[in-house]
Amino acid sequence: MRFRPEKLVIEEAVAETSLVQRVLAVLPHTPVIWVGRVKETKGPRDEQVLEIVKFRGRFIKPCPGTRSYICCGYQILNLGIKCSLGCTYCILQSYFPSPNLRLFANLEDMWQQLRDHLGSFRNRVHRFGTGEFTDSLLLDPLTHLSADLVPFFAGEANAILELKTKTTQVESLETLNHRGHTVVAWSLNPDGVIASEEAAATSLDDRLEAARRCQEWGYRIAFHFDPLLVHPNWQQNYTEVVSRLFSTVDPRGIAWISLGTLRFMPALKPIIQQRHPESTILHEEFVPGLDGKMRYFRDLRVEMYRHLNELLKKGCEDLCIYLCMESEDVWTEALGFTPEERGGLCAILDRQALP
Amino acid sequence: MPETDFRSVQFEEVDWSDTTCLITYGPHPEKLLHAIDAVGLLQWPLLQQREDGLLRIVCGSRRLTVCRKLGIEPVPCQVFSTSVSHLTCLRMAIYDNVAQRVLNPVEKSLVLTKMAEYVDRPQLIEDVMPLLDLEPSVTLLQRYEGLQELDSPIVDAVAGGSLHERIAFALRPLRGKDRLAFLKLFEQLPFSVSVQEELLETIMDISRRDGVAPRDVINDKEIRELRQENKRPLRQRAQDIRICLQARRSPRLTARKQRFLEEIRQVGLPPGLRLEPPPHFEGSRWRLEFTFHQPDELTVRLRQVARLTGQPAFRRLLKSK
Repeated sequence: MRFRPEKLVIEEAVAETSLVQRVLAVLPHTPVIWVGRVKETKGPRDEQVLEIVKFRGRFIKPCPGTRSYICCGYQILNLGIKCSLGCTYCILQSYFPSPNLRLFANLEDMWQQLRDHLGSFRNRVHRFGTGEFTDSLLLDPLTHLSADLVPFFAGEANAILELKTKTTQVESLETLNHRGHTVVAWSLNPDGVIASEEAAATSLDDRLEAARRCQEWGYRIAFHFDPLLVHPNWQQNYTEVVSRLFSTVDPRGIAWISLGTLRFMPALKPIIQQRHPESTILHEEFVPGLDGKMRYFRDLRVEMYRHLNELLKKGCEDLCIYLCMESEDVWTEALGFTPEERGGLCAILDRQALP
Repeated sequence: MPETDFRSVQFEEVDWSDTTCLITYGPHPEKLLHAIDAVGLLQWPLLQQREDGLLRIVCGSRRLTVCRKLGIEPVPCQVFSTSVSHLTCLRMAIYDNVAQRVLNPVEKSLVLTKMAEYVDRPQLIEDVMPLLDLEPSVTLLQRYEGLQELDSPIVDAVAGGSLHERIAFALRPLRGKDRLAFLKLFEQLPFSVSVQEELLETIMDISRRDGVAPRDVINDKEIRELRQENKRPLRQRAQDIRICLQARRSPRLTARKQRFLEEIRQVGLPPGLRLEPPPHFEGSRWRLEFTFHQPDELTVRLRQVARLTGQPAFRRLLKSK
């Protein structure tokens, strides 16, 4: 599953950057096409291509939550877009116009923006993540970016970095000085769901084993049951996932666990139907949410959250469990409290964030 | 304007099967027949002399057909020589038609496919599509190009205006029998275009989920019976079918709506008050509606509302979402 591009398309403006030099050193025989500027096309993804470009936007963005639902309030550190794992439900299929996996190489701009951001809000807790628009560790064997990011955050008293992944590419984390300021997180689903909807990602056991290794290296870990998917025997299958989770990792070292059911913009539906005709994830009934995204009917969402919450709390009473993009009434019904009662979701996670 | 000869033409001189420049499609307007019958042919058709001696129709195929039907022969016509290019003739046919009327979607499709033989795609999109009042886009071009590949009852329905082209585009990926089952349903009952789109999506979702053909969803016993409820007005039948399909697609939501109605009944809302839950029971925005004529009536209503909000059953209802 390790991604090895067969062709690199690189913008000339970033030819001398350290990131490009690193990628070229790892892939010395991969053909390179040098271009002035990568063309924005709408066609299907070329699975063999990795584009490396100069990013002209903001590297730091707030999590794209909406006012209608309660957001975790973390900041996206945007180092690239798209992913090669091809999960059927992936929102990235409709989120960006450009189809190919793309890295941003002008990291000096990124570091500057990061330092400026941290400097502007010294008294705040900063939770950053690189796994919103791509998988955080998918390209790490090519870029070795974690070797820069992890020590950087180790030196920031009020900031943490969350690396979200469905891979097991954690080797480079072993020797890094993280000082507890990096949380490594995996998205979890039952084996059957992984086989049908996340076919190019690693198995559940492999993800949990990678998490265990990170714990051994002193990292705090996190899990995202997101998207939770309705499927035959979902209760039993998620019970099995939770059981394997607790038998593999030490729950005391889990920073947080999020729960979120499948949701998607309506534009994604025909894309899923066209690209993944065998997928059954759209068979369940959906209603438009307050943010325009399609969601499971709320009673079903509550049922799923309750089920997972009970299992997780049974395994470890003190776990920090939160819902991703849900309303107060769903929080109350599913978890028995609203974030507001505890100072708000951002505050809850901020308290959890720092070591 | 290329050099033109004016002459009287016998029908046997015309090759009626030559559709090189034919861009008209659809039923012949009755008015044209009445007009020619009443006052004769006011505008002369335009034809082209072919190398084999026969004539090709460039503009006026309907006028010529009507003349033939009415037995008006010979017909005065303008005739191009053989030297005039096909593209020039085709352009004449297109401009002659778009100057006089709005082409139907099938005719637009014909124009695009015929012009595609002479111009490249960017020119087709940038120049020809706006001429047909179409937004210049590759996607739309592909949709229009595919229109003629549909089954002839669907093409005829689009040309005749009984089926919207948006629906025809959406039907295209389906199998022929399924397309025709949809056409029959949409022609039988008065669904708006947006409801047709909704039904199409709902039926396709049910079909995928249940592993049955869309035509089997459309023709199953319950829907068939609703369609054949001849004593009910057409609009009511259309609405019944919509509700039935929605319930089948979204059983949880439907069950919740029914439970809500039962809860409302138990609360006993005063007459004239209407309570609506949040859309799809998502969020916490309820809606209470009432009307009044006089200030005194408003006072009564507000008192009723105040009493209502104090009732434990009403509060439970708002919480039981």
